[in-house]
Amino acid sequence: MNKRSSWALPYAIFLVLFVALPLILIILYAFQDGSGNFTLANFTKFFTDADAIGTFALSLEVAIENTAICILLGYPAAWILANKKYNRSAVTIVLFIMPMWINALMRTLATAELFHMLGIQLGKGTLLVGMVYDYLPFMIYPIYNILNKMDKSYMEAAADLGATPWQVFWKVQVPLSMPGVISGVMMVFMPTVSTFAISEFLTNNKIKLFGTIIQENINSSMWNYGAALSLVMLVIIGMTSLLQDNKKEVSGGTV
Amino acid sequence: MKKFFIATLAALMICGCSEDRDHILKVYNWADYIDEELIGEFEQWYEEQTGEKVEVVYQTFDINETMLSKIELGHEDYDVACPSDYIIERMLRNDLLLPISRDFGNTPDYIGNVSPYIMDEVFSKIEGGGRNANDYSVGYMWGTTGLLYNPKYVSDEDVKTWDVLLNPEFAGKILVKDAFRDVYTSLLISFYIDQVESGRKDLQTIGFDASAESIAKVEEYLNSFKDNVAGWEADFGKDQMTKELAWLNLSWSGDAQWAIDEAAEIGLELKYAIPETGSSVWFDGWVIPKYAKNIKAASYFINYMCMPENAVRNMDVSGYVSTIGGQEILDAMSDPESFDPIDVSYFFGEQADSVCVNPVMYPDKRIMSRCGMMHDSGTEDLLKMWSRVKGDSASVWTYTLICIVFLALIAALIVKYAKKRYRRRRYAMKRRKRA
Amino acid sequence: MKRIFAQCYIWLLLIILYAPIVFIAVFSFTESKVLGNWTGFSTKLYSNLFTGDMQGTGSLMLAIENTLIIALIAAVVSTLLGTIAAIGIHNMRGKTKQAITLLNNIPMLNPDIITGVSLFLLFVFLHISQGYLTVVLAHITFCTPYVVLNVLPKLTQMNPNVYEAALDLGATPFQALRKVLIPLLKPGMISGFIMAFTMSLDDFAVTFFTRGTIGLDTLSTYIYTDARKGGLTPELRPLITLLFVGILILLIVINIRQMRNSNTEEK
Repeated sequence: MNKRSSWALPYAIFLVLFVALPLILIILYAFQDGSGNFTLANFTKFFTDADAIGTFALSLEVAIENTAICILLGYPAAWILANKKYNRSAVTIVLFIMPMWINALMRTLATAELFHMLGIQLGKGTLLVGMVYDYLPFMIYPIYNILNKMDKSYMEAAADLGATPWQVFWKVQVPLSMPGVISGVMMVFMPTVSTFAISEFLTNNKIKLFGTIIQENINSSMWNYGAALSLVMLVIIGMTSLLQDNKKEVSGGTV
Repeated sequence: MKKFFIATLAALMICGCSEDRDHILKVYNWADYIDEELIGEFEQWYEEQTGEKVEVVYQTFDINETMLSKIELGHEDYDVACPSDYIIERMLRNDLLLPISRDFGNTPDYIGNVSPYIMDEVFSKIEGGGRNANDYSVGYMWGTTGLLYNPKYVSDEDVKTWDVLLNPEFAGKILVKDAFRDVYTSLLISFYIDQVESGRKDLQTIGFDASAESIAKVEEYLNSFKDNVAGWEADFGKDQMTKELAWLNLSWSGDAQWAIDEAAEIGLELKYAIPETGSSVWFDGWVIPKYAKNIKAASYFINYMCMPENAVRNMDVSGYVSTIGGQEILDAMSDPESFDPIDVSYFFGEQADSVCVNPVMYPDKRIMSRCGMMHDSGTEDLLKMWSRVKGDSASVWTYTLICIVFLALIAALIVKYAKKRYRRRRYAMKRRKRA
Repeated sequence: MKRIFAQCYIWLLLIILYAPIVFIAVFSFTESKVLGNWTGFSTKLYSNLFTGDMQGTGSLMLAIENTLIIALIAAVVSTLLGTIAAIGIHNMRGKTKQAITLLNNIPMLNPDIITGVSLFLLFVFLHISQGYLTVVLAHITFCTPYVVLNVLPKLTQMNPNVYEAALDLGATPFQALRKVLIPLLKPGMISGFIMAFTMSLDDFAVTFFTRGTIGLDTLSTYIYTDARKGGLTPELRPLITLLFVGILILLIVINIRQMRNSNTEEK
């Protein structure tokens, strides 16, 4: 311990106040009724409300489908981008990252307007397309990162030992790039479940996702129920992060 | 760098400084529902009338329930709010409103300008647990529920009944207002209209009717056309109608009028009709919530909004129809060049049985006789029915997919764990062998 | 052959990815209120945007102003807070370091809505009336971790003895910080600042939950309200286009800089 470690103190206090305490409050509110008594009613309400459960299930479905499509489309793209044979310019990568920096709401609205112009009926199909469009960069980027940093000698070694290119890909490259895929999944799956506003715009209000239910409850002062729903989401986050190796940090977000 | 600090500090101070509550009037209104210039003018007017200063803090909501729960659960101290019919009823029953004093000293009482139709036919019918709603609320805007349509595709004949919604020709071109109570009551009234005409049922009873039988009836009807519906609109119906993305919109008269004006600007004709089989009437009124802190300014604010010239200005800006009646409004609203004469005597008094006003805003007496108001009953059941109908939600595929993925994840975790153990054991065995 | 196929795939994805934005950009050059309806070339929407001559401009201009001010304050505060914190964290060991890094990671891992709801509950709990201040605090909360993340690697790269050497040579700790540490950390601070700024500009969900009911709008909440009424105000089209071009230039500049940096490092 040296003296300068105390420089982190203000931020530590800040973190406790604005990160730890709010999360504790979610748990606290989730187990309270309106007048502050302990209760499990918020959860029984959620698990017995067919509408809420249906929305929750549907959100998971959309998120799973979205994640799957993003992997299917994104992995090849990341692979091509990371492969010096096919892509030499860094500009293409910047082009893929760029949409991440534009407000998701704006991109969504632009998509919805495009569907309108093309005369495509809004519904579940357009929701999925819009979601893929919103989140694909978040899948490509981490996979690209890991493929790019990967030590090429592993592949060469495998090839030298007689593996076909196809085998090299499946047996060496894919397993080694799994951490990238997993952080991609993290960056696509949870945000899809939790988006609000986006699904309404893409489906003319026909489909609601879980985030919208949370927002509706918080907005109409049903804080306790809203907190309980948020807690359900936090549990799901916890479960998905089990997939991740604890040692590795999420490699997203940086330019 | 310094500037940023100053800016931060300034921001802190603006929010942090305590306010002098006696000179603040907190108004909580629907979004886009007022001529905002009137707010500043009210501050001036209030000072002229009473010699006291007041600053209006104006906030908006877009869902009744949001407003209600802020007041009921959050105990927010709004001085004036503007709930809808059934919410006024609920607030009265839950004892959330204060009576509105009409003692304005030397200032004239403009609240009397509210049309007798609104006061006697509507507000007095609110079931407020023994209280007369007229003592606790003052009408602000009102309107009907009906069909906004594009005459290019939908004929005047079509919209005479709600059955136009069932027409497969319009599949994917129909928008329905995401307002369960309005849709429910409108449809229910039209189901029972024969019995109403013959005097066997009256509109008030239907307004309260949330029996399982009636709900089932409406649900069945809604289900029969829900595949035609392109969307459940909260506010975007007018826009999609003017863009011709939709042809038919179950909507409110105020929204319809707004869309008609907007469409006319780009040379598109839109029309609004109330099906002849009946529909519902809605209205919003000013109230002073229980937790209000500046009751005097609140009642003056309500009074100010009832001045005919202000009512006209609010109508111009919002496109909705003020509850204020009287000759002054009638003169402002009649336009013989654009409209055919109709009978609006129910609203403006007997002399108005043949005047040229906009029928979207002031429907003919014959049609209005088949429109009933909504009451606050069966909210939970209605909401459940509504989400069952709307619910494009989970299917068997949904649950199958979730189960598959969930099982796959568990399997993956187990395999991962098993591999680790296997490796560790093999490693240990190797070491032992070597030893 | 494979190469062509790969190229096609990449460009096809890019075209699809950019179609809506290009679509908006194209239609920002026509006056038509309805998107997708070309009524001739015009830059009227752009001039409207700059002269403020349009419907409801007041609130749009105000929203833009709010967005920029909030983003600036949040970025500056979180850069300062984050840099100082990073220096502290760098000098920490063991459990405390783990705990603080974990806390630091939470705002980045949490979906926006959770951050928003949790902060909303905090402000309710502490009875802080929500408005400008709460939005700024919330933005600082989710921006600072990115600054920390950008500054920490620079500290690791730095020779740990430089600072001590400065002190030994008679500099006061403040001088040592200003003349030695800050210049070395500057690249990290700058990229942290830019990230914090863009994160704040971009945010919708957290602002939505912490802005209260006083009618405070940032660009994204303005767009949200606007879009709920259907379609975008036409003037938003040029605005989105300009923002897009701005971000494009910014990203290209950053990337060129980074490439140059890494090139010089390699040499």
